[in-house]
Amino acid sequence: MKKGYRIPLIATLMGLSCHIGSAQAQVSELRDTSLVQYVEVQRSIATGSVDKVTEERMNKGLVTNSLNALSGQAAGVNVASSGENRMAMLNSVRVRGTTSLTGGNDPLVIIDGVSSDLATLSTIYPADIESFNILKNAAETAQYGSRGASGVIEVVTKKGKSGQFHISYDGNMGFERIYKNMQMLSRQGYVSTARQMGLTYNDGGFDTDFPETITRTGFVQNHHVAFSGGTDQSNYRASIGFMDHNTVIRVQENDNFIAKLDLAQKAFDDLLNIDLGVFGSSQKNHYIFDDWKLFYSAASQNPTYPNGMNTSGGWDKNSTASQINNPLALLYEKEHEKALNFNTHIGLTFNLPYDLRLKFFGSYSFNSTENDEYLPTWVWAQGQAYRAEKKTEDWLGNVSLGWQRTSGSHHVELLALSEYQSNQRKGFYTTVKGFNTNNFGYDNLMAGSTRPYGGTGSYYEKPTLASVMGSAKYILLDRYALTVNARADGSSMVGENNRWGFFPSVSAEWNVIKESWMQRSQAARNGVLTSLKLRSGYGTSGNLGGIDSYNSLLSVMPNGVVSYGGSPTVTLGISRNANPDLKWETRSTLNVGADMGFWKDRLVMTAEYYYSKTRDMLYLYDVSVPPFAYEKLLANLGSMSNQGFEVGLGITPIETKDMQLNINVNLSLQKNKLIKLSGNYNGQYMTASDITAIGGLNGAGFHGGNNNIVYQIIGQPLGVFYLPHCTGLMQNTDGSYRYAIEDIDRNGTVNIEDGGDRYIAGQATPKTTLGSNISFRYKAFDVTLQMNGAFGHKIYNGTSLSYMNMASFPDYNVLADAPAQNIQDQTATDYWLENGNYLNFDYLTVGWNVPVLSRHISSLRLSCSINNLGTITAYSGLTPMINSYVVSNTLGIDDKRSYPAYRSYSLGVSISF
Amino acid sequence: MSLMNYKHITLSLLGTLLLTSCLDENPRDQLPQEEAYDTAKNLYLNSVATLYNYIGGNADGQGLQGTVRGVYDLNTFTTDEAILPTRGGDWYDGGLWQGLYLHQWTDEDAPLKDTWNYLYKVIVLCNQSLNRLNTYSSLLTVAQLEQYQAEVRAIRAMYYYYLLDLFARVPIVDNDRVSLKDVKQSSRSQVFRFVVNELQAVEPLLMPERSNLEGACYGRLTRPVAWFLLCKLALNAEVYADDNWTDGNCPQGTSITFTVDGKPLNAWQACITYADKLSAFGYQLEDSYASNFAVHNENSAENIFTIPMDKMLYANQFCYLFRSRHYNHGSAIGMDAENGTSATCSAVLTYGYGTGNVDSRYAVNFYSDTLFVDGNVVYLDNGEPLVYRPLEVQLDLTGTTYEKTAGARMAKYEIDRTAHADGKLQENDIVLFRYADVVLMKAEALMRLGEDGSALFNTVRQRSGMPERELNEQTLLDERLMELQWEGWRRQDLIRFDRFHRAYDQRTPSSGESSRYTTVFPIPGSALDLNNNLTQNWGYE
Repeated sequence: MKKGYRIPLIATLMGLSCHIGSAQAQVSELRDTSLVQYVEVQRSIATGSVDKVTEERMNKGLVTNSLNALSGQAAGVNVASSGENRMAMLNSVRVRGTTSLTGGNDPLVIIDGVSSDLATLSTIYPADIESFNILKNAAETAQYGSRGASGVIEVVTKKGKSGQFHISYDGNMGFERIYKNMQMLSRQGYVSTARQMGLTYNDGGFDTDFPETITRTGFVQNHHVAFSGGTDQSNYRASIGFMDHNTVIRVQENDNFIAKLDLAQKAFDDLLNIDLGVFGSSQKNHYIFDDWKLFYSAASQNPTYPNGMNTSGGWDKNSTASQINNPLALLYEKEHEKALNFNTHIGLTFNLPYDLRLKFFGSYSFNSTENDEYLPTWVWAQGQAYRAEKKTEDWLGNVSLGWQRTSGSHHVELLALSEYQSNQRKGFYTTVKGFNTNNFGYDNLMAGSTRPYGGTGSYYEKPTLASVMGSAKYILLDRYALTVNARADGSSMVGENNRWGFFPSVSAEWNVIKESWMQRSQAARNGVLTSLKLRSGYGTSGNLGGIDSYNSLLSVMPNGVVSYGGSPTVTLGISRNANPDLKWETRSTLNVGADMGFWKDRLVMTAEYYYSKTRDMLYLYDVSVPPFAYEKLLANLGSMSNQGFEVGLGITPIETKDMQLNINVNLSLQKNKLIKLSGNYNGQYMTASDITAIGGLNGAGFHGGNNNIVYQIIGQPLGVFYLPHCTGLMQNTDGSYRYAIEDIDRNGTVNIEDGGDRYIAGQATPKTTLGSNISFRYKAFDVTLQMNGAFGHKIYNGTSLSYMNMASFPDYNVLADAPAQNIQDQTATDYWLENGNYLNFDYLTVGWNVPVLSRHISSLRLSCSINNLGTITAYSGLTPMINSYVVSNTLGIDDKRSYPAYRSYSLGVSISF
Repeated sequence: MSLMNYKHITLSLLGTLLLTSCLDENPRDQLPQEEAYDTAKNLYLNSVATLYNYIGGNADGQGLQGTVRGVYDLNTFTTDEAILPTRGGDWYDGGLWQGLYLHQWTDEDAPLKDTWNYLYKVIVLCNQSLNRLNTYSSLLTVAQLEQYQAEVRAIRAMYYYYLLDLFARVPIVDNDRVSLKDVKQSSRSQVFRFVVNELQAVEPLLMPERSNLEGACYGRLTRPVAWFLLCKLALNAEVYADDNWTDGNCPQGTSITFTVDGKPLNAWQACITYADKLSAFGYQLEDSYASNFAVHNENSAENIFTIPMDKMLYANQFCYLFRSRHYNHGSAIGMDAENGTSATCSAVLTYGYGTGNVDSRYAVNFYSDTLFVDGNVVYLDNGEPLVYRPLEVQLDLTGTTYEKTAGARMAKYEIDRTAHADGKLQENDIVLFRYADVVLMKAEALMRLGEDGSALFNTVRQRSGMPERELNEQTLLDERLMELQWEGWRRQDLIRFDRFHRAYDQRTPSSGESSRYTTVFPIPGSALDLNNNLTQNWGYE
């Protein structure tokens, strides 16, 4: 029992090698560092670091999708779904930051050997997942060639086991309550402020807290039943699950129904192993059509208007507040999605003579997504309905041949693989306008009078990827290991001349503790040092995320309708500069690391440094018009670097029969730098501006120029704040205040355009991220506390800048404390740039493993959790957990789009028979 | 061991060979170029007709008119015709509109970059089309080939005309084999000559048809459209032939030569000749000024070149009414609004606003004073009627009593109540070139020749029921303002009459402007950065 507890415990550590010092692993430690899919037959050919998040390490609080389970558990992996934006940013996962400017920054997801994506992963029921393997170094990701540049998350789902029949139920239920929302002026404050300032205002006669009107108490329930059984020759596992989540924002909800079946069969005297898996899900999502607009409309709405329609059946708002709608009318916008997933795979493994293993693997995935949208006439002149259906089908097949032999102190493994993958993506959409009634919604498109050209269309593409790979691993004396891996990928999307990319890697590992001189050392003999391993790797991987199908072809497509011979006729045209020389974006990574264990591994530490450089970076570069027709050309030119240091620490200060305390901390330091974005490309000088705005402010009373906040600047990390410097508030003659701006270049005039009086005021991405887990067990009771933090970055509080601006009052409502400060200015300066550091108490779970009551029940666990307990931060906005990871127009900017802060309270039951 | 390696290598090679053939893309929702030009008709459609999709537009800076922050705005908000005043939090836009009004633009301004890139995009696409017509010429008869080439060259010449007018010293790129190192600026007079020569060369091959009528040549660049352009080029020849516009001298129109139909003519004579060709072709003034801008204005006898509009078919947008009217004005007609564009004070005064003698076109061109929609007064939220106040407009209205209601607003185009996208997808065709302009151009040319153009001049006034006036420089400019309000000609007119760089309306010119350097826009900074051959225009270095 005790030992059984130990192993996962050590694995809980961020650790790069997860089985340090465990009794079972003594013999073939170097051969057991990972369970990489391709090389599964051989148990593992990877020498480097694979971060394995097992079931014990997954998050225990209320988990609403499988990505939640991973959040905060692995160094260098940022799951943006941990914060308040968990709905909005469901699929934002970054492994060691952003490595590409144009795309492909999502890690590759491999589920039981089937290449997949984050969206599919999020539909898997967390209790069906055995482990996540996170591949971060090129030496490991090189096995996935072109698709692995942004890291790989391998998901292994639970399978049947030989032995007796098992059935289990897992479930939890909970509710979500808002504890912090925008505090705008109430009716009383609104009216008295307007009177005081001598402004004309509209008084609707009511007192409504609009930010509150769009919210509710959320409700979550998850249920899961699994059963399994088997013999020595065959086994199966089947499960069915249902997840339902009504969020704290009215109308926003989703549910997900999942079924999964896995079978394994041995045949012909174990000559053949057959694995078959089927997985299906049906997901329904009701989104907010434009949550940003909903939030700022709710905050800025005149609080004297009614909580609902007015008496004449209309929706009141200040007509001069042109940027907002009545938030309650916006709730009638429909944005519905229905996604069906079907995935199946089969693997045939032949255990041939001479230690050869031949494996055939094939998979097929089908996804159909239906999008239905209706914008009522209240918020959209004449109303608009939109329907779309997208279907994707993925085929993947590979053949691998492996061989391994141990002879004396030598151990050799070899593997060859050939793979082919094809994706078909097709879909159509239609837009209908001109509705006289909102009652049909999107269900009867004949209720709309017009179907404009351009509102209806369809598409089809079928990119293919072919690969060959060879791997070799050699281990000497169970101490020294060397792995060489070479993969070539060919993609149909790349230019004809550069179709194939070559992605090699090499890695080495030295298990120092096994050296006899080490065993004789003082530290080892008195039991202080129990494990020590050093490792390093170098490799290259490719990225095609920035390329779409046909980017390299000179093709034409419909570009509009013109009158030809008196009748409207569709013409074809060229809509971009073609680049037949497109090639692979490559990323090479070097990593050096060490794993150490002390005092019988009561203290375990792992540390790793990495440096990676992205070259031939795909980007839409500026080109001269003329001779080009279009101002952008997708090409391979620039470079960017990422480096970082990751430390994992696992401490077990207390370990007795009744009591155990574990503390695990993972810390990750990251540094990104955009090195170059210009140069000569095929004799043509191309560039991207040295200073390019990524994101700015908008919406609700905030419009106007020079509102860009976050930039990409050559020589800087991606996403820096480039702002005018505010020296303080300056009083105007009328008693109001404005932001005083410094003439940074001392040229006598303040020019806040790019390149003028602006300076780099900080970075938007955290320099350091922290994940920490403390668990304590006393007899059958346990308590787990998860804390996540991010440090060294800043947040632009655009919400306060907008809502503190009394110049937009009373058209737009303002924050309750805005009248006292009386700032009448909306100039974006560093005044509202704040420290983004935070430590968030992600969840607290108390569990009770109830002593077994009957012989039919093998275990029973009851637990209760509070998610998002609280946050320690100096940030003055709603929450510091905004988008601080994904490079997009929201990076680092809190611009009126944060969800109100809420806690989830839940009860869980797990029972197995 | 070594045997195994060989085996691997063999396997790998085999795999590579098998798989490479599967990596070709076979697009289905796009066509390889050769399949798009397989018949004479498709060659015409996809290399000539396709270019007409770019005349209008639906994105900032795209399209010759109808969209915002492009050609039209550069020609309108820089003048005494219209103003986009800052209204509190609205319409500051980083000082863009104030900068246009005050002539304080810089080469970093996005509208300049977007306009440059838009105009040259169409030119490069024209060059690609010409190349394609040559490549696939076997599909065409000799006559067809000449006719198609002529049409593309005419479109290209029209775009060079806009570049000439806005940026003056621009590179002439006349085929699609030009590489960057050969993209070099020509002098303004060279560009002027290139445009004139191109239009004169292709004009006889263009369709002798009206372009504004729904029919075989709807929206196309036909022969009369080329004549109109030549008429404009001749009238502005003194400006366009002037290679140094900051030295205070310019060539005289009487000494600038055009050869028209084999006869040498001076600029004014050439202008008159092309105007006469248009009259002879049958263009005439409509009885009603407003009918040229009606929802169904396709049958206007006066409109020469329009951007066809149809909310079902075309993506072209007309944003200007939306941009101008007050929010409650928008609600009253069931559309959104941006409460922006206004007429300047000096413009409304030119119509006689506030006197007992207001020009009849005032009511057509503007929403002014108390607003009525469908005969009913439109009310503000506070219950007071919406009253537009033409004389209260100023560059920055923030904090003033009439912050949101100052200024006469754009009307002119009849409101299409069936329009989509807040009126931006209307059915009224956008009028680019119009015969009333031709009449005024001819009257001006006669005046410049020292002849009597007043009878002609007054036909335009009479059509609107206005009494005759003596023709002189001032009355002509006033007439052009009133007749052509909201049609995007004002900047060119002010430059031609040497008024652009002077004080007008509420504008005081900056000290350096007396050199007239602002009569030409700066070459966009982005274009200079990407092409070392280019040099900046005078005054902006």
